[in-house]
Amino acid sequence: MIDLRKLDEILRATDGDAGCVAGAEILEAYVELELTGEDPARVYPGTAIHLGSCPGCRAEHDGLLEAARRFADLRPE
Amino acid sequence: MGPGGADETVASRDHFSDACNRDRVVTARPSSGQSFSARGTPTPVDAESRVWVEQLRAGHPRHHQAVARLHDVLRRVALFELSRRRHQLRFVTGPEFEDLAQQAADDALVKVLDRLDDFRGLSRFTTWAYKFAMFEVSAKVARHAWRRQPPEVEEIAWDRLPNPVALRPEDRLEQRAQLDALRQAIGELTDRQREVFVAVALNDVPIDVVALKLGSNRNAVYKNLFDARRCLRARMAAAEQPVSNGNGRETGAKTDARPGSSGAAWLR
Repeated sequence: MIDLRKLDEILRATDGDAGCVAGAEILEAYVELELTGEDPARVYPGTAIHLGSCPGCRAEHDGLLEAARRFADLRPE
Repeated sequence: MGPGGADETVASRDHFSDACNRDRVVTARPSSGQSFSARGTPTPVDAESRVWVEQLRAGHPRHHQAVARLHDVLRRVALFELSRRRHQLRFVTGPEFEDLAQQAADDALVKVLDRLDDFRGLSRFTTWAYKFAMFEVSAKVARHAWRRQPPEVEEIAWDRLPNPVALRPEDRLEQRAQLDALRQAIGELTDRQREVFVAVALNDVPIDVVALKLGSNRNAVYKNLFDARRCLRARMAAAEQPVSNGNGRETGAKTDARPGSSGAAWLR
């Protein structure tokens, strides 16, 4: 039989999805909340849903989160 | 944009019942430009971020040094992100890799400097700036992948779907019924929905590459994908082959096809 979990993922289309444009506008805020240990889904639920469904935005989110951690020590002179 | 789920920008009012039969046009609503924190209160920009913004403004005594420092870190961020996406850049060699990072950093820096007034303090300045490097890398990787290896998106990778442990005859029968229902539902999508769904959801073609192929953009392609997924769920349910969602709740035509209820916040 079809792996229903995989099929569910492939067909994921959840109510409240904020879309790519809205997510891009606040992506840095979303990531900053994660970095401080807060749950960004409480503040940006539509973007949290979107990141679970859009591979392009998810890749950018993952990259920004990692970059913000890795290059966090840059200070102005 | 505000707290509590209003993080949507795209507006379209087509009903879901229409979504299965035609492709929507997506229009972006301008952002309000208000400066609010994630909690809806005015955001005080942190001291370091304020210094970055001041020094990056033309005419500041430290402008050139600040620009050089930011460019250097944007190049390292781009290089890091390109490394993360190396699987999409199989044919890129060392010097070309460095060149892509340099171009992404150059373009990100131009955007950051052009949009200094848009920095709202929702994050540290550096996180905001790194976002532009991410976007530039995304765009450049997609363009590169598109030029080097245009996607073949018409063929369906059916082997992604069946569960290999399902060997019992009755399970095979059930699988056959589900696959038949899915095949039929895919065949009933619009041409655009089918092309996008098969490429992105079944064949793992990057959504930005599909957008380039279609002369479109990511947001519009994602909407095609969203509508396709909605239609497929509804039609699977109508064929008595419903798909459970991540919470174990079945979704399908009965809830999704309600007039005026598209489901996606961006459609309202």
